[in-house]
Amino acid sequence: MNLIAQTLADGLVLGGIYALAAVGFSLIFGVLHVINLSHGVLVLLGAYLALIFSQGLHVDPLMCIPLVMAVLFCIGYAYQRLLIQRAVDRASINSMLLTFGVALMLQNVMIWLFSPDMKNITPTYAFSSFRIGPVDFDAVRVSALLASLVLLSLLALFLKYSSMGRVIRATAQQTMAAQLCGVNVRHVYALTFAVSAAFAGAAGIVLGIILPFSPNDEGTWTLNAFVVVVLGGVGSPAGALIGGLLLGLVSTLTAQYVGPSFPNVTMFLLLVILLLVRPQGLLGNAFAPSR
Amino acid sequence: MKLGRTQIVVGCVVAALLLALGPTFLPSFYVRVGQLMLYSAGLGLAWAILGGFAGYASFGHSAFIGVGAFTAGLIEARFNSLPAPLLLLTGLAAGGLSCAILSALIAYPILRLRGTFFAIAMLGVSHVTAEVTNNIDFFQGSLGLNFPPIAPSTMDPASFFYELFLAGAALILLIAWWIRRSRFGSGLLSIREDEDTARMLGVPTERYKRLAFVVSAVLTGLMGVIYAHSLGYITTDSVYRDDTNLSLIVYSLLGGMGTLFGPAIGACLLVFITQVILGRLLDFHLFATGLLLVLLVLSAPGGVLGLMKRRRKAA
Repeated sequence: MNLIAQTLADGLVLGGIYALAAVGFSLIFGVLHVINLSHGVLVLLGAYLALIFSQGLHVDPLMCIPLVMAVLFCIGYAYQRLLIQRAVDRASINSMLLTFGVALMLQNVMIWLFSPDMKNITPTYAFSSFRIGPVDFDAVRVSALLASLVLLSLLALFLKYSSMGRVIRATAQQTMAAQLCGVNVRHVYALTFAVSAAFAGAAGIVLGIILPFSPNDEGTWTLNAFVVVVLGGVGSPAGALIGGLLLGLVSTLTAQYVGPSFPNVTMFLLLVILLLVRPQGLLGNAFAPSR
Repeated sequence: MKLGRTQIVVGCVVAALLLALGPTFLPSFYVRVGQLMLYSAGLGLAWAILGGFAGYASFGHSAFIGVGAFTAGLIEARFNSLPAPLLLLTGLAAGGLSCAILSALIAYPILRLRGTFFAIAMLGVSHVTAEVTNNIDFFQGSLGLNFPPIAPSTMDPASFFYELFLAGAALILLIAWWIRRSRFGSGLLSIREDEDTARMLGVPTERYKRLAFVVSAVLTGLMGVIYAHSLGYITTDSVYRDDTNLSLIVYSLLGGMGTLFGPAIGACLLVFITQVILGRLLDFHLFATGLLLVLLVLSAPGGVLGLMKRRRKAA
């Protein structure tokens, strides 16, 4: 009983972080229809920036979130305007390969700059924990989960209520109509990409404090983001949250009860089954008309 | 300039003979490079039967390289008293058969997905098969499998495998050429252009794309079996490789997506670039591959053949 409760709690904590790491991917997929295979690299870039900033400024890594998000926002905006925009209107395989190329280049640059070794960010409260009932909680994991929930809610509010959020949603639903109403679509695309990159960076910090990371992990994080989006549905923070929690639960339960070496097998079985039964994901596409 | 049919056939036979004589005058480093080129060209051509003709770009064909290689290795270990040529044939048959069975089993669910979803689901297939091979002791994926030496003692093994890869690639090219000219091939092209309309017009799209998937998987598996023999010893990591998954798309993209010779040209070019030009710059490898990919997508989406066609039109 204890073991089940502990496994479920660990799964939910991990799931919250998967959700944050996937929400940017989901937004880009929903609005630009681009599979951003460099998403994992952006996540890791956030983690490395947080490592540098928190050591350089001697502050808590979570306090670096605004700074890292600002840097990645600018990188994302420029990246979309300079590169992705040129492939946006072509076949989806083109933009996918473009982002893959960028991912390879950035991964290599990160290996040059930060070495291929595992790094981690250690906050001051790294080894404290507390108990609720029979379940142990690490302070680090709980603060990571809280940070990701807060950020996900902020993004949901931004998309729902701010005027910029409305423009993004309008562009995603009917690009042509939005254009006719005077929306500068290229700017909106770049902005969406920038917001997504910023959230990827934030996710990097959150995962950096609970797991070790190295430049070679980028593929894993891109793949996780893809799975989360397919599970939960495209384009909405809520979909990412559902997909993330599901993925977190499935991977911890598999590791605990089937064997630690089979997370991919169950993950992809689940994915393929869901793609066949409900291809639009559990919550559906946030931008497509409901059928 | 339009070539007549006999001219093409004669040209191909002469080219094949020249290629086959390669190992007699090439220095040994270039025999190795040639091996890799022919292996990659074969894989690229096999991939393009599904990815180029039918437009279902798979991102996980290394699953079939791995399944073919491991089945062949496990079967050959049971029959190791057979003479070398028979042993190789047994391995090829077993590897091809296992790829046929696997691909026929997953064809129905996975070909319902389209575009990117198909690509990523195939990536999933390659990761899952790799994980299963690695973690179930029976397959010896983490321990590794040994392959008996099959090269005749009168011949240098590198040249022997060069000829084997050449034979494999030529066979796949012939099959691809035959498919491209047949009714089946036209059906695949119509699937690439517009699957729903093709279906409406009476093309048996389901059957065609499933068949293309199986053919592509089997041919990939055969190349995998030869590759495993040329390595002599394989583990999970040496056959299920994500860079192979990627390279197969890049070959077609570099040579010309959907063309007959494109994947082979692309494969030879990419191998030449990575092995000969960048061979000494290992730290720079990922970056250069990425840069090449970015430049390709931005400036030459039709590949080398697309560029040549554009130039011919302009002239």
